[in-house]
Amino acid sequence: MRQRGSTKRSNRYRAFRLILLSAILLTLTLIFLVSTLGSQRFGILHKLIFEATGPMQEVFSGTASYVNRFTREYVDLIGVREENKRLWKELQESRAAAYRNREALATNARLRKLLAFKESSDLPLMSARTIGKDPSHWFRTVIIDRGSSDGIFKGLAVVSDEGIVGQVLTVSPNYSKVLLAISPSSAIDVLLQKSRVRGILKGAGSLIFKLDYVLKTVDVQEGDFVVTAGYGGLFPTGFPVGVVSKVVRKKRGMFLEIEVKPAVDFLTLEDLLIIERERFMKE
Amino acid sequence: MVVAVFIALGLLLTVLQTTVLMVDPLWVAAPDLYYILVAYLAYRFDLLRGMIIIFPLSWTMDVFSGVVLGMYPAICFGAFFLLKGMSVKIPLRESLYQVPMIGVSYLVIAKIVYIGLSLFEQGVPAPWSWPAMLVRVGIMIILAFPLFRLFEFINKRLQRSFISYKVLHVRADNRYRPSENDEQ
Repeated sequence: MRQRGSTKRSNRYRAFRLILLSAILLTLTLIFLVSTLGSQRFGILHKLIFEATGPMQEVFSGTASYVNRFTREYVDLIGVREENKRLWKELQESRAAAYRNREALATNARLRKLLAFKESSDLPLMSARTIGKDPSHWFRTVIIDRGSSDGIFKGLAVVSDEGIVGQVLTVSPNYSKVLLAISPSSAIDVLLQKSRVRGILKGAGSLIFKLDYVLKTVDVQEGDFVVTAGYGGLFPTGFPVGVVSKVVRKKRGMFLEIEVKPAVDFLTLEDLLIIERERFMKE
Repeated sequence: MVVAVFIALGLLLTVLQTTVLMVDPLWVAAPDLYYILVAYLAYRFDLLRGMIIIFPLSWTMDVFSGVVLGMYPAICFGAFFLLKGMSVKIPLRESLYQVPMIGVSYLVIAKIVYIGLSLFEQGVPAPWSWPAMLVRVGIMIILAFPLFRLFEFINKRLQRSFISYKVLHVRADNRYRPSENDEQ
């Protein structure tokens, strides 16, 4: 009896629930139809749904975009390392090319200057390149890439487009050692260009010449030009040597103490010219 | 083989010294690499082999540098015998004094040669400059460490390949001095 009663109640409840759900579904359908096909108004239900799903959308789209961005950046990072390597290589190549270009330009300018000097000069000149420098503190010599097979022999004068450099000291078939004019063992006959007074130019081992044997009676001023005297035929007459930079008149002695600043920059000796004496003497 | 390799090494060092390391003809900070090799030969090589290597080395330097022939052989052999003598006679651990001794011996030998030059070839050398010489000694001492390691490396490699060093090694007169094996 009791079981029959309970089954009856359950059937009734199920029917009620079915009716209720159907009513809700019908109502919602009606609301949807009315609001969608009817007034086309964005009603309260739409707004409610909108508000409810909006944050979810926000979270999902934010997460998606974060994942997307992270993935893209990570992939980019892998590519960046490769690109960085490539760019560094390119930069190094460009720098090397720029350096080579600058060097070529500088060499070109230097050789043009030397060529202009060679062409403008009446002297028989042979070009040479400095390939080595004396490493000792006590001597000032350089090695050049010309030797006896080029007609070079001991004593030939070596000059640059700026002035005198020195003279050939030792020779082998293809190379020679040049004693620089700033070497203490170098002595060259020179003239003070203005007064035409003769003196002996000696090296001091530094970037200064000493001009000896000029009498105190001679009027020598700082800035006076010193040129080669041309005695002995080693250097041609009137070749630039330097400029008087200091004149000391001591109470004792007959001679002035004169310092001469070289016309040639001995720190940047690269391309030199050798005066071929035999041809020079003939001419 | 060792001798030939060290002769070639010496030539390479002199070429380096007179080209790349000499920025201009008056460059002060030029390291005397040849002298470091001479010192190494004095410390590590026997008399005969050391002298055989020093001959071409000093001649090459004579060709590249100076106006008085024979100056570099005098410097090189002077330094070689001085350092060799000191390494045998001074009863100290080698590593304590051998590198500073290079600088000291360089100054002593250079001064002696300079005085000789000034006496016999007046007006030929440039004036003696203590600052320049001290700079040079400083550079040499700094470079002596890596170069000694390099020479040692080459020497050991060559010894391993060919005849044992100990076979040709001439023992010093000082028998009381502890040998390398004793120290170890």
